[in-house]
Amino acid sequence: MVNFKSEASRGIALSGPATLYVGLLVAAPLAILVAYSLWTQTYVSVDRTVTLANYREAFTDPLVRYLMIRSVLIAGAVTLFTVALAYPIAYFIALKARRKTLWLLLITIPFWSSYLLRVFAWKLILGFNGVLNSALLSIGVIDTPLTFLLYNEFAVVLTLAHAWAPFAILPIYVSLQKIDLSLLEAATDLGNSAVQRFLRVTLPLTIPGIIAACLIIFIPTVGDYVTPSLVGGSDGKMIANLIQVQFGAANNWPLGATLSLLAMMSVGFVAIVFVLAASGLGRRIR
Amino acid sequence: MTEQNIIQLRQIEKRFGKVVAVSKFDLDLRAGEFFSLLGPSGCGKTTALRMIAGFQEPTSGKIIIDGQDMDGIPANQRPTNMVFQSYAIFPHLNVGNNVAYGLRGKGISKAEIDTRVAQALEMVELGGLQSRGATELSGGQRQRVALARSLIMRPKVLLLDEPLSALDKKLREQMQFELRHLQQELGITFVMVTHDQYEAMTMSDRIGVMFEGRLVQVDAPPTLYAKPCNNEVASFIGEMNFFPAEVKAEHAESLTITTPCFGTMEIERNPNVATGGRAIEVGIRPEQLEISALEPEGYDATTQGTVRNVAFYGENVHYHVEVDGVKKPIAASVPNYFHTVDYRQGDTVWLGVQSASVIDLGQDQSKS
Repeated sequence: MVNFKSEASRGIALSGPATLYVGLLVAAPLAILVAYSLWTQTYVSVDRTVTLANYREAFTDPLVRYLMIRSVLIAGAVTLFTVALAYPIAYFIALKARRKTLWLLLITIPFWSSYLLRVFAWKLILGFNGVLNSALLSIGVIDTPLTFLLYNEFAVVLTLAHAWAPFAILPIYVSLQKIDLSLLEAATDLGNSAVQRFLRVTLPLTIPGIIAACLIIFIPTVGDYVTPSLVGGSDGKMIANLIQVQFGAANNWPLGATLSLLAMMSVGFVAIVFVLAASGLGRRIR
Repeated sequence: MTEQNIIQLRQIEKRFGKVVAVSKFDLDLRAGEFFSLLGPSGCGKTTALRMIAGFQEPTSGKIIIDGQDMDGIPANQRPTNMVFQSYAIFPHLNVGNNVAYGLRGKGISKAEIDTRVAQALEMVELGGLQSRGATELSGGQRQRVALARSLIMRPKVLLLDEPLSALDKKLREQMQFELRHLQQELGITFVMVTHDQYEAMTMSDRIGVMFEGRLVQVDAPPTLYAKPCNNEVASFIGEMNFFPAEVKAEHAESLTITTPCFGTMEIERNPNVATGGRAIEVGIRPEQLEISALEPEGYDATTQGTVRNVAFYGENVHYHVEVDGVKKPIAASVPNYFHTVDYRQGDTVWLGVQSASVIDLGQDQSKS
């Protein structure tokens, strides 16, 4: 056994593997990305003179701006939609349901199949000859198949909301579960109706859970690539699809790296603003 | 139906499935009294309190508060407020906002809320702590905030669910005194649930003793201590030595009995017990027994025994004396006047008792 001499050496020993892991797999790739973003692509090779040309291009190109804003908006819509749907489910499981474990298990069932399969399942449901259209046709609600279901932003939001629902339900469930029930009784005792009680006690106490749910969904969905390429069609393309093109067909790694970093920064910025706003709002509820 | 009775409980019953938590519960609470529901855990006392508060609906029966039938009136519209066992201080609000909680959203001006919060905090001796965070409070302070938060609502009845059980002994004793003082000053009816007999006795005007969902006896603490209605109450409140006794003759006010160790005595009838027949049980409080090395003079009955056990409590000493013909050693408590423990294990001692100290407990339950 190693004889740990001091608190400090013990701390280093304990955090060492994680530090190494993070350094190797997060910090180093990020550094490479930053380096690439400052270089430029010539026809076949990369010019290693440091320049901000890529950034200039990214900021002036209307397509980049358009896709970036659309990505943020789609991710925002997914976040809003998912959290709004997840909250009542989490509320039910945490405060009303008798068999909590069973419900939690049921919620994780979608994870038992691959994400790609779930996306394809949505294609089957929403498609031109899909489940939804054939059902509506056969009962006579419509006489031509609906085309607005698939290959647009709506399909992207729907698919992502379904995929991310458990990630929203769980943190909200945990924060609801932690609420001491006598706090709710105290609010009632002090004259609150069920709605007042929810707004003044339950909601503010679950804000950390809501923030966590929002970040967990928002951050990865902004950069999601698979869903928009499969169900987004041309209207549903997002920034990740453009980045992929830079590293693939367009063969412009420096621009791709620049776009990645800009996407990361916008996500970080939106997330920080959101966290500050949400917790500020929570503090104002009295 | 006098207006004196602020709460009237009529034949309240509460069942959870097949379990009867509270049954045949009749109780009238007087306006301005400090009433305690006392009983062991699981006896239904908290359920009874929660039914008054409106958190639980009685399965049957009537709850009348201040002349109004509470049937169908939810907890948030009842003229009662509750101090919870966990205090239920809102963790996301500071002390001022916790106390102001019930006043907000009712169209009361900010200035008035501020004044009332300041007064309420002053009352519980937390003046000026409005901006203190809820998580920065000590146990005693949390208790006081909970109290201020309830009292600011000016309830007709304040319900307290084991309010002192989370505090350490010293603080608990201080809060007992303060709660009592506050109640007398405000004149609000307090209903407290507790399993601590000393707490109930030191604070209450009257105590209701509960066992297994039933209200067994309701009386002022001295009466409860001196005239318990049965063996259960007698052993739950304070300490008691029990003896079987045989009734030789019944008189209007008294009974002539014989006990295995103290012989024949004439004792007072206990108005709280039903006539017990010939085989009854009597009780003697440990502090009512005289213990001495020589046979004590001037006592109505005496007996001799051997000290089995000595328990030193500081303010008094308990001797457990084994006496022929009595199954359990008899406990005798002696005030520690001279800071000495006079008898040792194995010593032969005399016990003396006055017949006025022998409590009639009615029919001997162990024999029926």
